[in-house]
Amino acid sequence: MVKTALSKRSPLRILEEYTHGGPGAGATAVLASPKGVGKTACLVHIATEKLFQGKPVIHVSYASRVDHIITWYEDIFKGIARRRRLRNAPAVRDEIIRKRVIMNFKQDGMGTEQVLRSVEAMITFGKFPAETVIVDGYDFGLAASADLRKFKEFARRLGLEIWFSASLRETGRPLYEADGMPCVLADHRDALDLVITLHARGDHVELRVVKDNDHPAAGVLPLKLDPKTLLIA
Amino acid sequence: MTTIDRMRNIGISAHIDSGKTTLTERILFYCKKIHKIHEVKGKDGVGATMDHMDLERERGITITSAATNVAWAGRSINLIDTPGHVDFTIEVERSLRVLDGAVLVLCAVGGVQSQTTTVDRQLRRYNVPRIAFVNKCDRVGANPFKVRDQLEEKLRHNAVLLQIPIGLEAGHRGVVDLVEMKALTFEGPDGEEVRAGEIPEELRPEARKRRDELLDAASLFSDELTEAILEDKVTPGLIRQAVRRGTIARKLTPVFLGSAYRNKGVQSLLDGIVGYLPHPGEVENEALDLEAGGAPIKLAADPSLPPVLLAFKLEDGPYGQLTYIRIYQGRIEKGTELRNTRSGRKIKVGRLIRMHADAMADIGEASAGDIAALFGVDCASGDTFCAPGLNLAMTSIYVPEPVISLAIKPVDKQSLGRLAKALNRFTKEDPTFRTHVDPESRETIIQGMGELHLDVYVERMKREYAAEVETGPPQVAYRESITARVDFDHVHKKQTGGAGQFGRVIGYIEPLAEGAYEFRNEVKGGRIPKDFIPSCDKGFRSVLRKGELIGFPVIGVRVVLTDGAYHEVDSSDAAFQAAAIGAFRQAYRRAKPQILEPVMKVSVEGPVDFAGAIFASINQRRGTIVSSVEDGAFTRVDAEVPLSEMFGYSNVLRSLTQGKAEFTMEFLKYGRVPAPVAEELARIAAAGKG
Repeated sequence: MVKTALSKRSPLRILEEYTHGGPGAGATAVLASPKGVGKTACLVHIATEKLFQGKPVIHVSYASRVDHIITWYEDIFKGIARRRRLRNAPAVRDEIIRKRVIMNFKQDGMGTEQVLRSVEAMITFGKFPAETVIVDGYDFGLAASADLRKFKEFARRLGLEIWFSASLRETGRPLYEADGMPCVLADHRDALDLVITLHARGDHVELRVVKDNDHPAAGVLPLKLDPKTLLIA
Repeated sequence: MTTIDRMRNIGISAHIDSGKTTLTERILFYCKKIHKIHEVKGKDGVGATMDHMDLERERGITITSAATNVAWAGRSINLIDTPGHVDFTIEVERSLRVLDGAVLVLCAVGGVQSQTTTVDRQLRRYNVPRIAFVNKCDRVGANPFKVRDQLEEKLRHNAVLLQIPIGLEAGHRGVVDLVEMKALTFEGPDGEEVRAGEIPEELRPEARKRRDELLDAASLFSDELTEAILEDKVTPGLIRQAVRRGTIARKLTPVFLGSAYRNKGVQSLLDGIVGYLPHPGEVENEALDLEAGGAPIKLAADPSLPPVLLAFKLEDGPYGQLTYIRIYQGRIEKGTELRNTRSGRKIKVGRLIRMHADAMADIGEASAGDIAALFGVDCASGDTFCAPGLNLAMTSIYVPEPVISLAIKPVDKQSLGRLAKALNRFTKEDPTFRTHVDPESRETIIQGMGELHLDVYVERMKREYAAEVETGPPQVAYRESITARVDFDHVHKKQTGGAGQFGRVIGYIEPLAEGAYEFRNEVKGGRIPKDFIPSCDKGFRSVLRKGELIGFPVIGVRVVLTDGAYHEVDSSDAAFQAAAIGAFRQAYRRAKPQILEPVMKVSVEGPVDFAGAIFASINQRRGTIVSSVEDGAFTRVDAEVPLSEMFGYSNVLRSLTQGKAEFTMEFLKYGRVPAPVAEELARIAAAGKG
């Protein structure tokens, strides 16, 4: 299939090469950076690559409005389609969109259990065979470590790969610990399998692996996020 | 004459059963347009004045959009009654087009319901500023504070209370006006006497708290108010000015409350309408310039410019056809010459009137911003009239294709004649309602945008035209289309003595991304004489009416004619039509035809506990869930579902969710039918033929 050929050299593959196959089923991963560096673009890019591989994605959002998220997907898709010179772009788009569901929640209004219950309802009652769950806008500052363990347990039980974004807020104190782990994630270290931080470096954004299960972290990846196209390459 | 700053064009939008009609009725009463109050479902059998049709009365919904003029506090208010159901998309959108502001009516018990979300979304799409009225504060369980919160959470309004209730449920007596900090009670047999008094002791802390919230919200729109707050010199005038700015900018939604049924709070809502909603001069309106390929062009609400007006509603009255118009630019009077942009026909303005719900008044002239009605003008609703020389259209000429059809049969001879009259009227009123006679079954077919849409017209036939009809089962309007480019070369030849027939057409057919059909003539050197080119076009058109897969129209086809041949004697119009028909038949099967079906945008809303049941019900209907939004108590699921799977969904949903979920749907697009379903359809079509 065209789609498989397309995803062979995708940045996601490179990411997987450097992180021992990526998070994988039953694992949790986090993309962390201060606001405006490009976390959402990265997450949506990862989700879109999964969709290109024919793998269904549930996009859980705690913050943005649904129409904003859809716009993100449209933009990223257009960027990828242009870069790879997709000929039948509208048809591919229609096909992959059927494999994406967006679920919008209010974090202060509802507990993690309720959110997970709804996601599970989508998978079981809605017969939506998701393999990847993207969790966008989750506030790690508000999260108890029990909440993250629930996500982790959920991923394991349903065989899902869960990707979070974590926004690092400037508080005047250091954002990162000595090993590069964002301070706000330090308490959740055990519940997270893969942690990648994003750093603005002038004309590009650098991706750095700071935790990779029990393996030594790979550090800076040979991948860059272009702030103009918001694509990883 | 009313100056533009004294005009208001207002719609009242609501969820069914929020008390919209009662509220309208009370507004008319307090504005002295009617002399007696009638209840919507009242004992006196007269019904509310705004409800024109029995049917609406019976169903408790309002479908027509009659415009009624009232006066309040020296302002002239045109009340446009907007239909609340999505099945009437064109009608809703046309009436929204002429609004400058709206009152969003909410039930103090039910709060923001699914229909509220729909109408609010439509108002948002047309950039209509809103004020909210929380009605039914006298009902058990009324909680206007909760409704305000829902406006914020569910509809994302920056909603701010301008009033708090004095008593709720049976004890509801009036409101505290947070701008003036006065208690308002509504005395007299019909609540016509508004009395301002001191705020009851026990309500003062709450009133102060809510007033602080009001000041906080309003100060964002006025530096003067911010300063006055700091200096403790706030005046009601400063607050009003700030709230007005925020409202017109659609960044603030002032919330009023009361109970129309108990005659509480309606007058202060009227003050709110004239005080906070914009006049026509404060609203930007655009037309499409047909001379410039439909480019948008700004109109100015200036009476001295050439007139531009929109006919937004036709109505059959006892004195003939009445055309409701909104004037966007210029002014008109008796004798003004206008041109209908669609038909090109010229008219002269005859009698010009203003309507109350059941009475009318002749007016000498009307100018930009105003709403009036014309007598004796032959046109369709949605038509634009301009000064001769202008070629502007207020609405897009695009009308969605109907998605559902129904065979109807008059029960007797009398009904047959009446039915023709009714159909003639309905098709003029509503371009999404169509009718034709099926050439094979000889049945009359009506087509529309949804089940309810057609139901309502069948009811209207009975009630307004006394035309009794029997209806067949609803039928989905499938389409056929091609997916590949295919060449054709076809000769039509017949020689059976006498004049023969000869025509040869060469070219190709290919998928057309937008539109139903396009014909392109690229024949050079007179290989097909010019006179016969339209014959070819006609032939292709006729064969497209009925596809070979399941007998539904073929859309999305471009035919390009590149070459051909003719015979001096034997070629004719009929011969080239036949050649085109043969050519298309030859090419169609090779062009990988597919069946398309209408796909609806479906929005289901219900308690979170039923999320799983809702997901499952969409999945079972070949639906694709696009998103779900949960706010702790409620979930809204947006999905795309084929129309053919949606019949009877309301009953299913009701039983799945104990009646706690609701849904709305509207046409989204034509989508490809999956192979197993396509095979089944083809099988049924073949069986029907045999």
